[in-house]
Amino acid sequence: MSPRPATVSGIVAEPALTTITLSWDSLGFDPLIDHYRIYAVAGGAAPDAPREQDLVGKTVYPRFVHQGLDPAGEERTYTVLAVSDAGRRGRPSDPVTAASQPSVTATGREIASIGVFDGRTLEHRFAPSSYARIPTTYPDAVIEYVQGTDRPAEAWPYLLPGPGDAWAGRKAYRARWTVPLPQRPAGDLDLALWLVDTTRLGGTLRVSVGGKHLADVTLPQGATRGSREGDATVPGSTLQRSYHELPVPAAMLDAGENVLELHLVEGGWVAWDAVGLFARA
Amino acid sequence: MPPAPPVPTLDRRRLLQLSGASAAVIALGIDAPAAVADPLPHREGLFSLGVASGAPRPDGAVLWTRLAPEPLAEDGHGGMPARNVAVRWEVAADEGFTRIVRRGQALAQAELAHAVHPRVEGLDPATDYWYRFVVGRQTSPIGHLRTLPAEGAAVESFSVGVVSCQAWYHGHFTAHRHLAAEEDLDLVLFVGDYIYEYGITGSNLWRQGAEVSAAHAVEVETLEQYRLRYALFKSDPHLQAVHARVPAIAVWDDHEVQNNYQGARSAYGLPDELFAHRIAVAYRAYYENMPLDAAALPEGPATDITAGIDVGSLARLTLLDSRQFRDPEPASAEEQQAEDRSILGAEQEEWADQRLVQSPATWNLLANGVVLTPISEDRTDMWDGYPAARSRLLQAMAEAGNAVMLTGDIHKHVAAELRADAADPDAQTIGVELVCTSVASDGDGAVTDGYTEDWTRHPYVKHYDGRRGYVHVRLTEQEMTSSFWIVPWIEADDTAPKELSARFVTPAGDPRLIPA
Repeated sequence: MSPRPATVSGIVAEPALTTITLSWDSLGFDPLIDHYRIYAVAGGAAPDAPREQDLVGKTVYPRFVHQGLDPAGEERTYTVLAVSDAGRRGRPSDPVTAASQPSVTATGREIASIGVFDGRTLEHRFAPSSYARIPTTYPDAVIEYVQGTDRPAEAWPYLLPGPGDAWAGRKAYRARWTVPLPQRPAGDLDLALWLVDTTRLGGTLRVSVGGKHLADVTLPQGATRGSREGDATVPGSTLQRSYHELPVPAAMLDAGENVLELHLVEGGWVAWDAVGLFARA
Repeated sequence: MPPAPPVPTLDRRRLLQLSGASAAVIALGIDAPAAVADPLPHREGLFSLGVASGAPRPDGAVLWTRLAPEPLAEDGHGGMPARNVAVRWEVAADEGFTRIVRRGQALAQAELAHAVHPRVEGLDPATDYWYRFVVGRQTSPIGHLRTLPAEGAAVESFSVGVVSCQAWYHGHFTAHRHLAAEEDLDLVLFVGDYIYEYGITGSNLWRQGAEVSAAHAVEVETLEQYRLRYALFKSDPHLQAVHARVPAIAVWDDHEVQNNYQGARSAYGLPDELFAHRIAVAYRAYYENMPLDAAALPEGPATDITAGIDVGSLARLTLLDSRQFRDPEPASAEEQQAEDRSILGAEQEEWADQRLVQSPATWNLLANGVVLTPISEDRTDMWDGYPAARSRLLQAMAEAGNAVMLTGDIHKHVAAELRADAADPDAQTIGVELVCTSVASDGDGAVTDGYTEDWTRHPYVKHYDGRRGYVHVRLTEQEMTSSFWIVPWIEADDTAPKELSARFVTPAGDPRLIPA
């Protein structure tokens, strides 16, 4: 029988918004690793041996993204072990503790939002898969959404197409979000852009406020599945969520109507989870 | 006089290239005459995944089975304990096994999901044989094979069934039921997408009457998941019947690993160094579940599934790997047209070229996973994404004469004539391409669909049908007859009759598609 897999080592934890990404040294291909098993417990200490009820995932890759953690930030302690082609299990790794980063959606006070920050596109227009209706409904490639007047199911398509999308006419779509404010904010705000998925093209999302450039958000390569599937929280989902939270200087905002524009200037579509504007607590 | 014991057949050079543990496992899975294994606790249904033969030669073939009393056990081990099991095999000259001509033993091991791949040798050419496996008191279903004709021998006729794209969840394998019942059949050729990696959920489970557990609902990534996926698909009785009827040869396309992957690259943004781990387990599961020679057993994320088969002096078959060595999707039109761009890789191109230009056979058949015929420049996953490589292959096919490309991928029957220069309507027709529709992918289908015009606008495309089915190819020295069979439905049940969608005759020396 092929040897027992070696013990997983070299684990590095990278905390991010609602996620902790673990990576470790590959154990190579001899014996062939069927999969790695990842166990997690809340807090800073692991049990003496992994318990199956603490299994949070299996992966063939020497990397695992633990998604869906509390937006307020969560501390978890992980152990990883390998299973060989013959079904033999290696010894568990040394435990590694990490805490996910808190999101403004949890730490801030919501000023305005479109959709729910829940890992799903489902509340948005044409979700989860009727993307073909977007170019016919928005032939000028501009989506207008007025906070307080419009609702996601009627006015916010679940995808924002980009120049890489032949099906949408290869246009750089703009989503213009009008947010009325009673007065200029006393302090800087935060803009949360949560995506359920992107395409393998990645891209650039240009964000402007009141006609002034705020930031160019570099979009990661995604799974290109969010055009057809709307729920990234399904176990085993291959949708690749990404989270982007940007400070918005108070000086860029005014009393009355403020227009935040999201312009997909490069790449393929983004699938919205939710967008929101938050005041700092 | 008792038959001579089988000769161990594992290529020693290949064996020595492997690491110690792997080499021993492979060797024992092929030939372990002296192995003494622990007795297996009695389990019914060890042969639930059927039997198969493949890699045929004039003197024998590879035999295959995978022990799985619980084929859908979610750990991918089929309900087998993590221990070695001795599997005896017998080959007879008659279906009743009164004249056993060869017998041997291989070791089913947990490393290979208890699959065995013994190669039987010393058989007579162009001869019918029957085979079976025995473990303890259990005997497998009986498989049949016919050895290939002797090298250079004249052959009256030879028939191949061509199938592809077996999305089990989209419908019943009715096409396999009819193929298994073909009177005239020497070989089955799988031209890709033997499995699909997608999660099976309520939205794509169109095979009425079928249910799957939650373990099948997610995309396949780990070895246990690939093993489980093969077990699910291979549990189909009609697929098992085809395998038991004739030897199988196969090429793969993308879904044996992941949709639209290109060489070492995932189409979904995963870094190559990570994706290599998925390729490795996917290639391993392919070997475990197909009747392949040891050369196809991967070392990590690399393997060799190419094969050359000669059918006497009648036909030369060349099986190509159009996935593992291809260049990535082009970033620009200029890159797409680059002369050095390849879908096969330089080494395989040279090998295929040599097989073609040096072929002594009347017919020169190639098989690969994607369509060769020019259709549109945006179909970059097909040979349309590799126009320079296509030109090189067409040139070699023209030199060989009577060239035929067999492929699948698109879930439609298509018959096309291959021109030396597709843009020139007066260019010489140098061969034909027979594109097999899916066995099940895309469900019932329809004669025409939204893609029909893309294909039929070309004068060299002679047939299109978007329903499910298979292609039957019969070769003689004088002509090739290609029959495009369809079944009207597959989602409701497996009772649909077969109907002839089109039939063409291609005369030797005049490689056109003449309706028959």
